[in-house]
Amino acid sequence: MAETEPRVVVFTCNWSAYGALETAGSQRLAYPANVRPIRVICLGRLHPGLILKAFELGADGVLLLGCPPGECYYEFGNERAEELFKETRAIAHLLGIEDERLMLDWVGAGEGEAFVQKVTEFYRQATCWRDL
Amino acid sequence: MEAIQQIIKSTKAYYCLECGKCTSVCPISRREPAYSPRLTVERAMWGEGEELLTDALLWSCLTCQHCSERCPSDVYYAEFIRDLRALARGAGEQGLCSHGEAIQTWMRMMASPDLKQNRLKWLDEDLKVCTLQQALRQAQEGPQDTANSDIVYFVGCLPYYDVLFTKIGAQGVEIAQSAVRVLNRLGIEPIILENERCCGHDLLWEGDVTNFRKLAELNVAMLQATGAKRIITACPECYRTLSVDYPEYVGSLGMEVVHISQLLAERLVGSWKLEVGSWKKVTYQDPCRLGRFMGVYEEPRQVISALGLELVEMNHSGKNALCCGTNCWTNCGAINKQIQVDRLREARATGAELLVTACAKCQIHFKCALDDARLDQEIGIEIRDLVTLVDAALAQEEGGSKA
Ligand code: SF4
Ligand code: SF4
Repeated sequence: MAETEPRVVVFTCNWSAYGALETAGSQRLAYPANVRPIRVICLGRLHPGLILKAFELGADGVLLLGCPPGECYYEFGNERAEELFKETRAIAHLLGIEDERLMLDWVGAGEGEAFVQKVTEFYRQATCWRDL
Repeated sequence: MEAIQQIIKSTKAYYCLECGKCTSVCPISRREPAYSPRLTVERAMWGEGEELLTDALLWSCLTCQHCSERCPSDVYYAEFIRDLRALARGAGEQGLCSHGEAIQTWMRMMASPDLKQNRLKWLDEDLKVCTLQQALRQAQEGPQDTANSDIVYFVGCLPYYDVLFTKIGAQGVEIAQSAVRVLNRLGIEPIILENERCCGHDLLWEGDVTNFRKLAELNVAMLQATGAKRIITACPECYRTLSVDYPEYVGSLGMEVVHISQLLAERLVGSWKLEVGSWKKVTYQDPCRLGRFMGVYEEPRQVISALGLELVEMNHSGKNALCCGTNCWTNCGAINKQIQVDRLREARATGAELLVTACAKCQIHFKCALDDARLDQEIGIEIRDLVTLVDAALAQEEGGSKA
């Protein structure tokens, strides 16, 4: 493939990670341009199908960023997210996709810096897998 | 449209007498009056084929072939729908997929030639199989010391379904483990492909012919490289696809394809009388691919009797069996659930203690319907795959307590 930069998809919960992304924006913090955030209303609304689709379309890594434990806007959305994350990882594993290429993490709505740090680190790792 | 005329021809839709027998047996039509196979055929004949391609009802058909079984004119209705779907997809339609399209997505991902899967974790140490490397050596240097390794066991998507559906109590890799254990007992150490692909059945019947071909070509190349003579599968869809559709779409495999119930009927019946523990009366779900598509009705029944079980038939059985309610993970909704519930009611009405399935997907769909706690009293019944029963019986015979 001609493209040398990795492609990373970040699914962001509307109430936490997306808020963090906006905070980062208002603080003019930068993160790699090849990180593609996709806002969902709740991470629990995702589905293994959507995550696999990202890999099918060529994502090198997929990061799920949701609400910190106990702070889900919808009470149990992040527990759902954890279940579907495990299920998707198991399917991805069967397909030969390394575990590190799909990660689940959380970030609070006001934490712009933490958001940038997390996606940048994930992106940096994706660069390493690319080089493998 | 030229292509639609071609489909009318190849599926003999022009023979339609407008008798409506198809619609009268169609399980979808019974619950969804707007859907009628007769009318669909008629509309194609009236020149409304192009409108059919964008009609959401195109994705409702289960391709269960119940209609064709009744059709006095031998219209190949399921194939008619299959080919219209291919046209529709070609024209940009997306179809309807259940499970967030996860299943179709992994199937399409398997079409990549470079894929290195980790699909053999279920192979416990007690299961004796022959790897592709051993098989290749055998193909080059003649027979090695492994028994019967001219037989491939084609596993299908069981390791994948295991991830999604064991939480509703469906048997996933358990079926594959049983199949290998039973084959071992028959003196067969099958070849297993570590990078076997999905057979492509669902993509084909959903109209994604391009990816179906890719999967088929990859499988054919791997299977032929083993030098094996026979392929055994415990999945009716793999059985149908490998034996009928591969030759039609990508060329002959040059190998015999057998459903495991056929092998078991040949080897079990009359020679072993086995007792399975807790059940006496059982009933059996004919999978549409095994029954109506491939004409295998008797063998699974012979195996059931060989196990010392009394088989009581449901109201609809054999050629007339009702579909499990969903096919190729297309369009599962309230109507499909209703069909499943209706079928489970029939199973309950037989007084059987166990419903035997021979297709992992029938089992998944029924277990999904059983997941509805409100209906448990009315439709609750234990469900097991045929091969796992045989495995349990053999273990019992050995003095174990697997049942
Ligand atoms: S059963 Fe056959 S002949 Fe009768 S309406 Fe249906 S397709 Fe036409
Ligand atoms: S194949 Fe089955 S679902 Fe489709 S029209 Fe015929 S009977 Fe109905």
